[in-house]
Amino acid sequence: MKGKLSLAVFIAILSVAFMMNDAQAQNVRAYMGLSPENNVKVVNFVKEKTGISILQTFQSFGEIEAKVKSEAPNFNADMVSGCGSPLAFMAKKNGWSVPYDSPAWRGVSGEFLDKDKAWFNISNFSFVLVGNRDKLKEKGYAMPKSWKELLDPKWKDQIVMPSPLSSGTANMIRFAFLALYGEDEGWKYLQALDKNIHHYTRSGNAPTDLVGRGEFLLGITSDENVKDRLNKGFPLLWTVPEEGIGYDGTFVFILKGTAMADACKKVIDVMGTLEFSKLMAGIGYVTPRPAPNALYGDVTPKYIKLDLGYAADMRPKWNDIWKEKFRTEFK
Amino acid sequence: MAEAEILNLPQRNLLGRVKTFINAELVHILAAILFLLLAIFLLYPIVAVLIKSIKGPEGWTLAYYLKFFVKGYYFRSLINTLLLGVINTVVCLIVGFCMAYLSTRGPMALRKPLKLLTLLPLIAPPYLFAISLIILFGRNGVLTNALGLNWSIYGFSGVVIAQTLAFIPLAYLMIENTLMSLNPNLEESAYDLGASEIKIIRTITIPLLAPGILKAGLLVFVMTIAEFGNAAILGGRTPFLAPDTYQMIIGEADFEMGSVLSVILIIPCIVIFFLHNYLLTGKKFTTIGGKPVASEPRKITPLVKVPFFIISGIAALVITVSFGVVLVASFTQLLGVKNEIVLSHILNFDSNRAIYNSIKVSLIAAFIGAIIGILLSYVIVRGKFFGRSFIEMVSLSGFALPGTVIGIGYLLAFNTPPIKLTGGIMILALNCVFRFLAVGVEAGISKLHQINIEIEEASADLGANFMTTFYKIVLPIMFPAFIAGFIYTFMTAIVSLSAVVFLVSPGYELAAVKIFDAAAYGEIGFASATTMKLVLIVILCMIGLNFLSKRSRFQATQKGVSKNV
Repeated sequence: MKGKLSLAVFIAILSVAFMMNDAQAQNVRAYMGLSPENNVKVVNFVKEKTGISILQTFQSFGEIEAKVKSEAPNFNADMVSGCGSPLAFMAKKNGWSVPYDSPAWRGVSGEFLDKDKAWFNISNFSFVLVGNRDKLKEKGYAMPKSWKELLDPKWKDQIVMPSPLSSGTANMIRFAFLALYGEDEGWKYLQALDKNIHHYTRSGNAPTDLVGRGEFLLGITSDENVKDRLNKGFPLLWTVPEEGIGYDGTFVFILKGTAMADACKKVIDVMGTLEFSKLMAGIGYVTPRPAPNALYGDVTPKYIKLDLGYAADMRPKWNDIWKEKFRTEFK
Repeated sequence: MAEAEILNLPQRNLLGRVKTFINAELVHILAAILFLLLAIFLLYPIVAVLIKSIKGPEGWTLAYYLKFFVKGYYFRSLINTLLLGVINTVVCLIVGFCMAYLSTRGPMALRKPLKLLTLLPLIAPPYLFAISLIILFGRNGVLTNALGLNWSIYGFSGVVIAQTLAFIPLAYLMIENTLMSLNPNLEESAYDLGASEIKIIRTITIPLLAPGILKAGLLVFVMTIAEFGNAAILGGRTPFLAPDTYQMIIGEADFEMGSVLSVILIIPCIVIFFLHNYLLTGKKFTTIGGKPVASEPRKITPLVKVPFFIISGIAALVITVSFGVVLVASFTQLLGVKNEIVLSHILNFDSNRAIYNSIKVSLIAAFIGAIIGILLSYVIVRGKFFGRSFIEMVSLSGFALPGTVIGIGYLLAFNTPPIKLTGGIMILALNCVFRFLAVGVEAGISKLHQINIEIEEASADLGANFMTTFYKIVLPIMFPAFIAGFIYTFMTAIVSLSAVVFLVSPGYELAAVKIFDAAAYGEIGFASATTMKLVLIVILCMIGLNFLSKRSRFQATQKGVSKNV
């Protein structure tokens, strides 16, 4: 008899927990790879405009790619609402995405909208060079003006950048350098740069915070959070080095097999509006519908010429080369 | 005549016969069901990992293992991992023993605070220490700047320190438990007969503690090499197996190489598990007579006292400071860089759903785990069938299985029909149930050994069927074991990261994973605030559970007393 009461209470707690099992009326499960705080901004915007809740776990682009690849064709989400070009192109090729001709996206250029409507690019982002103002001053170093300057031995163990294995930003950094210098010279540059890199972070935005906190002097990082961190008062310097910067899109598409296709379509519709573009541009993204950019202002930064399709095809091979060069031997 | 009638009675009809059969064979039926569950949820995932490691897209191959042993990187990773495990285990055991000794044999005033303080880290995610170490000793850390230190925490030493701090409580808890159950009379007699404190510790306390220490060592070792939060955040470019496995599965979907790393990770754990079992067979000490009582504090010689106090003091101080730092960080814009007091981290409710999910998952896991735990222990102790010891071994092996391996196993095993569990909430709960089963089972076994089977037989002789006997006699006796299993599973499940990190899906995110992501990502304020919320909620839950179990125990003793009178 003893414990009967407690048992009853446990069961009660459990059944309540089960019953509270979320009145999941209009919930869309999504893999979403913007920075966590920007994820939340998008989720709140969509919720406000459509009443649809996007349930998301934060993951890097590379992690979303791994997840979708390993789950295919039984996806545990309804849509991808933010991934890099490699996955978007791969999903279209393999038929993992459901095309949707959204009326809200009419008039958007081909860079942001697939010609077969299999994917939607809600924003372009880039990578920039950031430095810690206070720490640089302490050391008496000037902020580098070009990528070549990063090879100077004085930066040894002072630079952080993301790992292209997990981060879409780093994937973009890698293919931008390979495009800038050509593949042979590009790998040589990356190898020389590797000597000064303290470590490769998992997420493309981590260097912004690590440098902002003064853990490291310099970082090659996604531009997504730079504006926000400056607003918060981090002692950050940022620059577009003279060789230019690369870019990639933030791709959205519906995953095959979803039971929530209509809700997903509503989400995509909202993302095609000027208002949504304004939200994203206010964070610092370059958007499908032109809007004033909070980070770059009126100046269009110098971009390195890129072939995203080629880069997506080459990604697995480049990953292997990367692992061979930078991970296989311990230094 | 009467005897024959009794035997014949239940066989009047088919239904009766089925009933009799079930009644008589219930233990075996139960055993079969439980074994099936263990096979599906514990053995099958491990086998899935094994198969994946030797089966590539083009069929069976050992190429992945070859790669592991040829590339220096992986080998280095293995060495680092083992070294980390050994150093950590030794340090945790020493510190844990000192603290446990002081909190059971030391001055009364110290006992309670020391115990509470040491148990604090148990209810926080283990990588809390990585967060506080970065704030204090990072390149731009508070203490680094204040003292002008030139020590880099990003590397092996940083990981070792963070992991040690994280697992001292576990070592402490297990050693303290054993110390509490030792009858102090033996030590006291030795003391009265003039033996020195050191001699008593060396010749009485430690030998009697050996099984407990061994078990603590096993657990700490396995947890250390599997829990990868600290290593992933502080490792820098120093490779360790667990974070590498995580990177391979989560970042690259390289399941084959990830499985190889998992199998490698499992080997030292299994070796130690069997070593531990082998060393313990026939070494069960029974202390002489009487109920264990709290040890009276006696004079401890300075020779013992001073080092014990120093070690415990340092550990206690560092743990307190670490928690303090995280607490302060959750109210600061950016601790050490921009020391403005803000409430934005605490008032950031993005983690609410994750915390809610964590509690829900842990409660479900604890409930199912505790029930399966006592049923298993009953079957193991009372059952008389072939394979009984195999069931016992499997159900206790959860101790020795690294969380990362179970996580990957579940991902591989339950990602496709017929049993598709990924993308739901049950997979999160079930992996915790079977990983942490061992504690409930052990508690149940030791409870059952305390009661004589004659009581159950008497009940059966008096005509009670199996269910009645089980419900009225076995269950009440085993209730403390149920509570032990429940509390342990709940506490461990809510902060554990290494397995569930592979299994969360949109809508079913967990607080531990969310905090890890935020910390790895650099959002220290948000990570700290969420940690504090989680710790607070776990403390509240523990108080509630404690209250419940005390109440039920109180009722039980009352009833027992009234019956005896």
